[in-house]
Amino acid sequence: MTSLLRSLLFLCLSCLLAAQASAAELERESAILTALVKIGKLPPLEERVPKKPRVIDLPAMGRTPGKYGGTMRMLMGDQRDIRMMTIYGYARLVVFDDKGELKPDILESFDVRDGRIFTLKIRPGHKWSDGHPFTAEDFRYFWEDVANNTRLNPAGPPLSMMAAEKPPKFEIIDELTVRYIWDAPNPAFLPSLAGAQSTDIAMPAHYLKQFHEKYADPKQLAALVKAARFKDWGALHERKSRHYRPENPDLPVLDPWRNTTAPPAELYVFERNPYYHRVDNEGRQLPYVDRVTLSMGSTSLVPAKVGAGESDLQARYIRFDNYTFLKESQKREGYTVRLWTRGEGAWVALLPNLNTRDPVWRDLLRDARFRRALSVGINRRDINQAIFYGLGQPSANTVIPGSPFYKPELQNAWAQCDPVLANKLLDEIGLTKRDSEGYRLLPDGRRAELTIDASGEFTEETDVLELISYQWAKIGIRMFARSSQRDVFRRRALAGQTVMSIWVGMDNGTPGPDNEPNDLAPSHYQQYQWPLWGQYVQTAGQQGEKPETKEVLELVDLLGRWRSSATVEERADIWRKMLDIQADQAFTIGIVNRTSQPVVVSGRLRNVPDKAIYSFEPGAFFGSQLPETFWFDDVRSN
Amino acid sequence: MLRYIMRRILIMIPTLVIASMLIFTVMQLPPSDYFETYVAELQAQGERADTSKIDFLRKEYGFDKPVVERYFLWVAGFVKGDFGYSFEYELPVRDIVGERLSLTMLVSFCTIIMTWLIAFPIGIYSATHQYSWGDYGLTFLGLIGIAIPHFLLALVFMYFANVWFGISIGGLMDPIYFNQPMSWAKLNSILAHLWIPVIIIGAGGTGKMIRRIRANLLDELQKQYVVTAKAKGLSPGRTLVKYPLRMSLNFFISDIGDILPAIVSGAELTAVVLSLQTTGPLLLRALQSQDMYLAGSFLLFLACLTVIGVLISDIALGFLDPRIRLSGGSTK
Repeated sequence: MTSLLRSLLFLCLSCLLAAQASAAELERESAILTALVKIGKLPPLEERVPKKPRVIDLPAMGRTPGKYGGTMRMLMGDQRDIRMMTIYGYARLVVFDDKGELKPDILESFDVRDGRIFTLKIRPGHKWSDGHPFTAEDFRYFWEDVANNTRLNPAGPPLSMMAAEKPPKFEIIDELTVRYIWDAPNPAFLPSLAGAQSTDIAMPAHYLKQFHEKYADPKQLAALVKAARFKDWGALHERKSRHYRPENPDLPVLDPWRNTTAPPAELYVFERNPYYHRVDNEGRQLPYVDRVTLSMGSTSLVPAKVGAGESDLQARYIRFDNYTFLKESQKREGYTVRLWTRGEGAWVALLPNLNTRDPVWRDLLRDARFRRALSVGINRRDINQAIFYGLGQPSANTVIPGSPFYKPELQNAWAQCDPVLANKLLDEIGLTKRDSEGYRLLPDGRRAELTIDASGEFTEETDVLELISYQWAKIGIRMFARSSQRDVFRRRALAGQTVMSIWVGMDNGTPGPDNEPNDLAPSHYQQYQWPLWGQYVQTAGQQGEKPETKEVLELVDLLGRWRSSATVEERADIWRKMLDIQADQAFTIGIVNRTSQPVVVSGRLRNVPDKAIYSFEPGAFFGSQLPETFWFDDVRSN
Repeated sequence: MLRYIMRRILIMIPTLVIASMLIFTVMQLPPSDYFETYVAELQAQGERADTSKIDFLRKEYGFDKPVVERYFLWVAGFVKGDFGYSFEYELPVRDIVGERLSLTMLVSFCTIIMTWLIAFPIGIYSATHQYSWGDYGLTFLGLIGIAIPHFLLALVFMYFANVWFGISIGGLMDPIYFNQPMSWAKLNSILAHLWIPVIIIGAGGTGKMIRRIRANLLDELQKQYVVTAKAKGLSPGRTLVKYPLRMSLNFFISDIGDILPAIVSGAELTAVVLSLQTTGPLLLRALQSQDMYLAGSFLLFLACLTVIGVLISDIALGFLDPRIRLSGGSTK
């Protein structure tokens, strides 16, 4: 009898122990993956993650290890928004860490010599989401068969892979190591890999070869092209290989979640990548959340839907003016609204168009004293109080705290409210004559009436302009706001028809030395303060107008020096110089920055920080907060 | 009659050719194209698009070819059932529209039936009981339906549907049923969501229809033959249905021409506000982003339906009312 009891007890105990042991094992990966491993559809965890995975130290980040499972729902506006998952995932060959420094992510390591020889090393055992090894061949395929293929890239390799207008020499060192060698330093290369919208320099060759003219069987390829109703193999390859907008569910990826839905669809389901290379500090594979769904709908409904609890994590299409509404129903729906800080250099900035066609205005706007007068004629404190409830920071358009270059002088340069100084400066320029209403007269006798173009997308813009127009009346400048439509707005600026426009300031308010300072100098035709100069620099003098002003030429020169710099110190130095020139010259007139971005987080979702900077560059919106470490407290299948 | 129909069908061809030309011209009018809009949208978010890439895409989609050539390519494709390529979705137009068309037709069909079911009895009642309390009350309701903007009504309905019944905001079904094959649960979800757009879109139409039935019927009711019929002892109900009601239906039949395109395009604005998975928002979005083949094909498709609808209503009118002559010229 006792022996029976004893054996029974033993049996129970061993069962318990076994259950515990398997529970501990289960914990290392998601239950849905364990199930697949059991039926032999997936190799065990050890064979799926790289030999040296990237370890995310959760306690160091103040986060807790999580439970696996659950579906994170998000709302989007249209089909193209699925690229947000590539951005939010933020799995890149190299990434910017929270100090703005470049760190390997997908790569095991990288080595830079003389700023021009880049050796990239892949993690041993790293695999694509379909289980195929990720090797140097994938880099070779991109470089030789895509970037340098005239059908796929008629304009040649991506810009960031050109140094002094020359492409690199590509070498395969061994199966896991590749090397790019340029003749001149190429500091833009690694940052472009780490960008929110990154340059992909490796593609899943084993999958894409079936669509490539060079490798595929011509008959099969022709059949594929015909079945998909494409013009030729090039169009097919382009569609099938696109990673940034991941429309092809079959495309192997290295991201935390991969798309499983073919467009068009109303709901996109992103499933976890069983071969993802990041683990937490206990060696448990990330991401914690099994599935992310993006449901498409009209953007104007997003705040209402979020208010009805239909999203687990949402910042896109929500603006500060939705805050009170969202706050109101947060108890009922069980979510929290957090206010993150927007990371732009200025949430709104005035951009005097130095290339405007009107010669009188052009001369005035090119006079630094005039721009400074306009800038100090604005009462930023009032605007911040009235429109942003005092939650923003009155500031010039410059870097914000969090950037190593931040200093209060930059923020305050010509950002004080000083109508007396403004009037003095304007008198100094010679705008002394006034009309009967007290407005100043331009040199040609016209009244100083300034029209500011707005894209008409944010009500905040027009509200800000309304206040500025009162403030400028005190310095004798009459101002009108004209809202149009984004397209029209852009065309007018390019054609030199705008005198001044209102737009977002520097995209990246927290840059480090490795971020390209192209916002600070003419570099692109979409810079509304000098579109033609930007076009000139962008097209290497083929289009646009040659920059004229001394300070602008200096900025162009500095940007060129950054692009050929070999050391971080040199780049940091260039950044500081450019920021100083910008602050002194007030080429753009920032109003406020660090305004609030509401982020709605489900009450069940853990590890989402209360405070963070929300920006496309360098934060990748949620990306730099590592969404794969977010987890659901009470996992329910939804 | 047959000759008349043949002639009408032949006239449809030049009508559609002109319509297609107009549509194409209008699509070409804005100075920019889809790719520029796309660049602007990316830029608003801090993203950049490679200029060389954009040029490449333009070539890829034949934007470097002359306008006339592109027009012919488009129309030729249309005739063959190839409606062109949507830049935004990067899919053939047919693949995008197909899915939404059935839901759109469902919504529109329900709306039209509801409109008729409500408007006819009320319209007849109002006309036969002119200036009564019932007439005033129902007319007032109808006018409210016309007067309140649809989108406003939509917002209010959506809010209360969510707060009181827990129906997900917008859409024609709960998000979990997206991409899923039809099932009872999905059908239930659709039905639970359907009444909102049906009532909202129908509200205005019902009001208008009530007014028109009432006015037309009132005209007829005064006429001599009604008085005669009544005097000869025909029951009021039979009198009404047999003569004046039939006569007052002319407007209703000629409306059929508008119904066909309305079934597929529906009430765009309401659909946008309600975020319905119908074709209306698709068209609007395509117009905004200058996704020209999608928008153009859609408009041409609507033009075709209008022409066919008008033909049907003309034929039906011919049968309904012998007084309507087949040819406009003098027949004396």
